[in-house]
Amino acid sequence: MEIINNSPKYDVIVVGSGAGGGMATKILSDAGIKIALVEAGPYFDPANPDQMTQMKWPWESPRRGSGTTRAFGDFHMSYGHWKVEGEPYTIEKETNFRWWRSRMLGGRTNHWGRISLRFGPKDFKSKDYDGLGENWPISYDDIKPYYDKLDKLIGVFGTKENIFNEPDGFFLPPPKPRLHELFYIKGARKSGVTVIPSRLSILTKRINNTRGVCFYCGQCDRSCSAYADFSSSSCYVIPSLKGGMVDLYTNSMVVEVKTDKNGRATGVSYINKENGREYSIRGKVVVLAASACSSARILLNSKSKAHPDGLGNSSNLIGKYLHDSTGTGRSVFIPDLINRKTYNEDGVGGMHVYSPWWLDNKKLDFPRGYHIEIGRSFTMPEYGFGYNPNELNRFFGVKVGGYGDKLREDVKKYYGSTIGLSGRGEAIPRKDNYCEIDPDTKDKWGIPVLKFRYKWSDYEIKQVKHMHDTFEELAYNMGGIALGNKPTKEQNYGISAPGEIIHEVGTTRMGDDPYNSVVNKYERLHDVDNVYVVDGGPFVSQADKNPTWTIMALSWRTSEYIIDQLKKQNI
Amino acid sequence: MDRRETIKNILLGSIGSSVLLESCVSSLDNKVLDKIWEYQYGRTSEEKKRDDKFLNSRFFSETELQTIEKIANIILPPNELGDINDAGVVELFEFIAKDWSTPAHNNYGEKVLRRGLIVFDELCIQKFGLKLLDCSKSQVKVLFDEISYENKSLKDQKESVKLFATYRGMIVTGYFTSEIGIKDLGYKGNTPNVWNGVPSEVLEQYIGIVSYDKEWIDKCVDQSKRGDIAKWDDEGNLLT
Repeated sequence: MEIINNSPKYDVIVVGSGAGGGMATKILSDAGIKIALVEAGPYFDPANPDQMTQMKWPWESPRRGSGTTRAFGDFHMSYGHWKVEGEPYTIEKETNFRWWRSRMLGGRTNHWGRISLRFGPKDFKSKDYDGLGENWPISYDDIKPYYDKLDKLIGVFGTKENIFNEPDGFFLPPPKPRLHELFYIKGARKSGVTVIPSRLSILTKRINNTRGVCFYCGQCDRSCSAYADFSSSSCYVIPSLKGGMVDLYTNSMVVEVKTDKNGRATGVSYINKENGREYSIRGKVVVLAASACSSARILLNSKSKAHPDGLGNSSNLIGKYLHDSTGTGRSVFIPDLINRKTYNEDGVGGMHVYSPWWLDNKKLDFPRGYHIEIGRSFTMPEYGFGYNPNELNRFFGVKVGGYGDKLREDVKKYYGSTIGLSGRGEAIPRKDNYCEIDPDTKDKWGIPVLKFRYKWSDYEIKQVKHMHDTFEELAYNMGGIALGNKPTKEQNYGISAPGEIIHEVGTTRMGDDPYNSVVNKYERLHDVDNVYVVDGGPFVSQADKNPTWTIMALSWRTSEYIIDQLKKQNI
Repeated sequence: MDRRETIKNILLGSIGSSVLLESCVSSLDNKVLDKIWEYQYGRTSEEKKRDDKFLNSRFFSETELQTIEKIANIILPPNELGDINDAGVVELFEFIAKDWSTPAHNNYGEKVLRRGLIVFDELCIQKFGLKLLDCSKSQVKVLFDEISYENKSLKDQKESVKLFATYRGMIVTGYFTSEIGIKDLGYKGNTPNVWNGVPSEVLEQYIGIVSYDKEWIDKCVDQSKRGDIAKWDDEGNLLT
C-alpha cells in the first residue's frame, strides 16, 4: 500500500493518549516541544453533551444500562472493552488472556477506579525479599519526587499513615466512610486487617481554577463532566491542546515505527480509520504509550533490516513477562443492614476505605501481597438489579421466590444489605507468559494481531485462596455471611482470568542489562536511542497496587529526560 | 403526552382497537418512533445505529406484548405510584428481545423470552383450556404458585420454573430501573450533593453496632473548605 507522507516533522511523536501518553504530552508540550499525539480512537470530552453519560438515569437507556455494547454497562465510559469490533486477538490453546482496549482520547483513564497508590520501597526490590522475579533498576527514591509532583498536579485524597510500603503523599482530605464501610472497618479491625481511608484521584477539594470539585454522584466510571476526577483527556490532553504545541491525530491506528538504514526511528505510520489509508508522520523521537500490549505489538510489527525481530527486540523479550494483577471477589450479606433508611450515599466513584497489604509473606505459603477493595449495593439500580429478588430469604427460613407485593417488599428490604469484597494481588512475572505476533491473523486494518499465552502459577492460585479465607473471616467479624461457596481447588479458587483486572504490564520491561530487558531506566529502548515506552510495558513487576500512578510518575521522569536530551541535542 | 405514555399507546395498541401495529411497522409509525425515542445518553454513532434499528422494528406480536403486560402486572401489581406500563417494562422486553437476539446471546429473544410465553400458554391450556391472556388473574396465580418458588438451585429446576425466574428477574429489574420503581425503592442519589457522612438519624439506628470514630473523622474533608485551593507544606500537611 502507498504510504502518504505530508506531515511536518515533529520533535516528538506520542502514540496513545492514556495515562502515560497524556502525561508525556503535557510535560513535553509545556516545555515548548512540538508534538504529534496519535490516538487510535475518537476525540472524547466528558463535558460534551453528545458523549456524556454522567447523571443519566437507567431509564434513559432502552436496555436500562445493560452491558450489550459496553461490557460494564451502557453508561460506562469506555469505547471498547475486552472485544473491539474488527480488532481480534488470538490465544494459545489451554491458556487464557482477556485484552481490554479503550479506543478514545484518554483511553482507559476515563473509566478506571481512580485508585492511585504509590509503589513502595519494597515493590521496586521484591527479589531482595523473596528471590523471585527481578528487581527494578530504579528505587522508590528515584521516583518519589515524581509521585510528589503528580499528587500536587492532579490531586489524590488519602491520609498519612506511616506504613513503610504504602508511602504517604500530598493528599487531599478523604470523604467520611459510608455506613457499610463502618461495618467493614469493624470487621477488619477484629480480624487484624489494616484498614485506612482509600486513596483516589478525585477532587474532594479544589486543586486549581480549571477543574471542578467532586459533587458526589459516585459515577467516576462515567468520566466526570466537571473534571473532578482524573482522566488523561480531561487533565492533560484537552488543556495541552490549548497551548498550540500539540497536533492531535484521532482515529489513527499506528502500524509501526519507521526506521532509517541505521536503525534509528524516523517516525511512525498509521491507518486513518476514516478512510482506511496509511499515512506517515516524521519525528525526532517516538514515545510509545499505546498500552503494554499495543506498544509491544507495534514494536514487534516494526521489522526492518536493522531490526529483523522487531524494533528494540534484540533481547527477544518484547511481549515476555506479561502479567496482570490477580483478583477474586465475594459478596457478603449483613443482616444488620436490612430495611435500611434510604438517603443519598453515592459518595465518590469508588470506596471510601480500603485495606492495603498487611501481612508478612515469610509466614505464608505464597509470595507477594494483595489489597482489598470494598464494593457496595446501596446504589442506583441498573439492569440486573433484583434478578434474585429475595434469595436472602433462605437465611431466615423463608421461602425464596414468589411474586406479588410481597416480592416488591422483599426487594426493598434487602436493598443495600450486601457488600462486595475484592482482592487485587501481585503476580510473579514469568517469561513464558507473553504476547507475540500471530502470523496468521490480521485485524480489519490489515495489521498482524497479537497472540497471547498466559497461565497462572501456584503462587497466584494460593494467594487468591488466602483472599477467600480472609473474606470469610472479615464477613464473620462484621456480623455478616459470605455468600456462595468458596471456589474450590479445581476452580483455582476463583482466580480471575489473566487480563480481567486490566492491570497488564511487563511486555517491554526495564533493566540495566540489554540482554535481560527491553528498555533502560529512562524507559528508552536499549537498541535505539530515540524510542521510548511510557505505558505499563516497562514495569518489572506490578505490585499489589494499581499501575496508573506509577505509569504517570515514570512517564513524567522520562519526559524530563527527553527534554534534557533534546536540549543537549543528543537526539 | 409524555414519551412513556406515547410508547405505551403505540406499542401496546391500548388506544381503541389494536390494529395499529400488528407484526411490522408502517412508515408512519417509523417516523413516530424515531421522534419519540430520542434517547440521549452519549452513544457513539455505531451504538446509536444499533439502538435505532431495534427501536424501529418489532419482535413480539401485540398478543405477546399483552401477555407480557399481564404477567408483569401480576408479578408486580400496580400501586399508588403506577403500574407496569408506567415503568416501561413491556418496552424493555421488546428491546432486549432484539438486543440479545445474536449468537453471542444465544438468541435470547427467541429461545428464552418467546419460549417463556409458549410454555406459560401451554401450562394454562393444560390447566384451564385457555391461553394465559384469556385466563382470569386468579387462574394465572394458580399457575404461578406452582412455578414461582425455588426450593433447590435453579439449574436443577424444570424449564417452566427457570423461565418464570427469568421473567420475574426482568420484570423486577425493569420496574426498579424505571422512574417510578426508583421512587418506590427510595433511592435518593444521582444528584449533585455534598457528602458529609451518614446522617445522624441513620447512625442512631446502629448505636452499639457501628459508629464513627473521632480519630478517623478528624482526618476527613472539612466540607466548608472544599472550595479553597489545596496547599501543602513540604511534609505533605494540608494547609488550606
